[in-house]
Amino acid sequence: MNFFLTLVLTGVSVGSVYALIATGLNLSFWTTRTLNFGQGSIMMLCSFGFAFMVTNRVSLPVAIGVCFVVSALIGVVVERLTVRPALKRGGGSMGWVVSTLGLGILIQGLAAKFFGSQAVAFPEILFSVRDSVRIAGVAFSLQYAVVIAITLTVILSLELFLRHSRLGHAVRAVSEDAEFARVQGIPVDLIVVSSFVASSLLAALAGLLAAQIGGTVDSSFGFDLVLLGFVAGVLGGMGSSAGALFGGIALGIITKLVGGYISTAAEHGIAFALLMLILALLPNGFFGRNEVRRA
Amino acid sequence: MKIRQDSIATAVGLLAVATVFAAAGWLRPGTVQLVTFVLIAIVLAQSINVLTGLAGEISLGHAGLFGIGAYVSGILARGGALDPLLAIILGAVGGGAIGLMLSYPAGRVREVYLAMMTLGFGMVFYEVIREWQDMTGGVMGLSNVPSVVLKNLSLLGVRIDGGDYLRFVVVIAAALLLILRNVSQSKLGRSMVAVQANAVAAASMGISPAGTKRLAYGISGVVAGLAGALYAHLVGYLGPDSFGLPRSIEVLVISIVGGLGSITGQVLSAIAFTVLPERLQAFAEYQFIVYGLILACTLVLMPKGIAGLLLPAPRFIRSGSKRRADIATKGAGEAAPWFLERPASSSVAVRVDNVTVRFGGLVAVDNVSLQIMPGRITGLIGPNGSGKSTLVNVISGVYRCTSGAVHFGPRLISGLSDVNIARLGLIRTFQDPRLVPSFTVRENLLLGRSRLWKHSAIAAMLGLPAATDDEGAALRAAEAVLQQTGLTDVADRPVETLPYGSMRLAELGRAIMACPDVLLLDEPAAGLSEPEVARLSEILRWLKTGGVTVLLIDHHMDFIAGLVDEVFVLDSGRIIFSGEIEQMRKDPDVVAAYLGSEELEHA
Repeated sequence: MNFFLTLVLTGVSVGSVYALIATGLNLSFWTTRTLNFGQGSIMMLCSFGFAFMVTNRVSLPVAIGVCFVVSALIGVVVERLTVRPALKRGGGSMGWVVSTLGLGILIQGLAAKFFGSQAVAFPEILFSVRDSVRIAGVAFSLQYAVVIAITLTVILSLELFLRHSRLGHAVRAVSEDAEFARVQGIPVDLIVVSSFVASSLLAALAGLLAAQIGGTVDSSFGFDLVLLGFVAGVLGGMGSSAGALFGGIALGIITKLVGGYISTAAEHGIAFALLMLILALLPNGFFGRNEVRRA
Repeated sequence: MKIRQDSIATAVGLLAVATVFAAAGWLRPGTVQLVTFVLIAIVLAQSINVLTGLAGEISLGHAGLFGIGAYVSGILARGGALDPLLAIILGAVGGGAIGLMLSYPAGRVREVYLAMMTLGFGMVFYEVIREWQDMTGGVMGLSNVPSVVLKNLSLLGVRIDGGDYLRFVVVIAAALLLILRNVSQSKLGRSMVAVQANAVAAASMGISPAGTKRLAYGISGVVAGLAGALYAHLVGYLGPDSFGLPRSIEVLVISIVGGLGSITGQVLSAIAFTVLPERLQAFAEYQFIVYGLILACTLVLMPKGIAGLLLPAPRFIRSGSKRRADIATKGAGEAAPWFLERPASSSVAVRVDNVTVRFGGLVAVDNVSLQIMPGRITGLIGPNGSGKSTLVNVISGVYRCTSGAVHFGPRLISGLSDVNIARLGLIRTFQDPRLVPSFTVRENLLLGRSRLWKHSAIAAMLGLPAATDDEGAALRAAEAVLQQTGLTDVADRPVETLPYGSMRLAELGRAIMACPDVLLLDEPAAGLSEPEVARLSEILRWLKTGGVTVLLIDHHMDFIAGLVDEVFVLDSGRIIFSGEIEQMRKDPDVVAAYLGSEELEHA
């Protein structure tokens, strides 16, 4: 029973990172119906760069600041140089899938060149691995608790912002019909760029949190995490905040249970099986809206 | 001209095969191995070309399909359990089966979801072969696969050395290229490109987008699996790191640089990307960075790759079929409109009963009932936003109605998919012409034939006489339609180079190619010049003589008035008038809907 509870709590924590990644993917999905396939490289660059700076005695706030500024800039680059030209050219999703993936691989390749391809230890910034509280008789790592708290706060504030601020309404208008929003005088281009910046910032945050839980980072870090974030998004319904949260946490719990009771090697396999199953049976996820096929 | 291009490509190909075949005996072993690697890369690149170049679906996990072929064949042939030749075949089958599995949700989800599926598949495959030690040898790899390197390969009991294996691979690769050329220049390849260009338009001709994508994934899987199996028996050792994400990226890069859609471009690019890292140390060192740059830029800056720079655009009709059509036409003299004098049906052609369509709170079509009588031209008019196009979309199955029923002859069709409705013979056109822009007029016309093909997919792949004859017949029909639409002179020009009016006529021609029982035309005269409108009227009369039932939606009053037997007027989603056009002009409701009679006279 204790083992089970430990797995579930770990699952919720890991799953909340997946939810954060899915929310990041949602942001660009809302405004442009695109996903950044290179999102993982932002997570990698941020956590790798952070670890590099901290081990070289850069102070924590400065390191975090640099990470977020760089990620935001990459967000602008993703939108300007890969997504926008591809959308302009038309021809379906092929263009931007390939170009965003390409930019991601480029960043990954450069990072491997600069930082080396060895894994490095990620500094403990939020408590240490040994700090824990006892919940119903099991030790629960404070790192995990903080990760859950940060994720919930971010997703909740994002949702409140979208529902109750003028800018949030503008984002939703762009999501419904970008051309109509443009005619209404909404600065569509600015909102689209901002959505990619926000998406990259969420990826950066998710990268830092995932690295904190995982303990190490290397240059290939992030690629499989984005896939898990995508599974979380599809599970809940792509484009839904509540869905991302539900999907992420459900996925986290399921993979940890499978890992604990069957084999840790099967964790990713089960996530992928889940993806296939959901796409085949319930393509709009549990919270997604039915996307009407337009003639 | 086109025949010459095809012949040149075939001649160069045959010469290359003959050279490799002859040289295999005396080349240095290192060179033999490099050439074999190049051939395997060519096969693998073709696999992406079918999926991405033709069908427009991206695979980010092709190393997984490649790996399935390699491991299936390697494991089965190890220790003499199975003849390597049989193992290679099963490896290809395995790749195809997984390809089909990946495409299962096709048609129900956004295409990008399938791309993500392939990425996930690639990653999971990599982990499975690392962890499943009993079967795959785990991270230590699978050694001792019967192979050229280990000098223990025999096919059907005959001992094979490096040179022999190169000959074996070059023959397989050549045969495969021929088959894939047939795929590309047949109903299969054309359907894939049509689905890539516009899935709704493809469905309106009876091409199933989901089925077409599945076929592309299946073929691509078989070809990738074959490449993997050939690789396994070349190197003799399989380790997980040969089948990870970097390999998937590499294949994608090769294919995109070669030029998506061009078989020859793939060949050139595969040669370059296999030989270059061997010869240039610097290239190997910066490989990943270069690949990233290429992927980020190529589709935007140079979307057609090497092929776009060096080669003529690929064409999608076999020269053999064309010759067949030419010979038959000369023999028979003037090609007759093949569908004239059909038996006139006495029942109602299309019956719409109490159809209502709601989008959220908006009622676009409100309890509409109408009957389209067979063999007549029925008009449907109404102001903008009155629900005309929505009604067409409901009849043709693009939208589902909220309530009500639509019958086509005796058959209930509301609830059927747009693909199935088109296959029954109810064909529609769109307000904006939805042709395949890169196709010639002739190629676009052949798409209209989709519901009538008699030959199997296998016949098309192998270029059997059944396929050539069927294509020949379709090309003769296309000739007649070209004449009727006045497009004969531009028949072999890509439609993207044609003026708007010609595109519209080509789209109508494509619908006629389907031999429709009922034709729904959504504003066919919009944007046409005076002579083109005259041509359109002529075509519609020709169709009426042929017994085709037409529903004509338009604003163009003079054009409609001269053609239709009966007219329905829609306003705010309701039918406000039905009857003859003369009475319509006097009807007060209609006049009010159009804001005064002036518009009716001159619109």
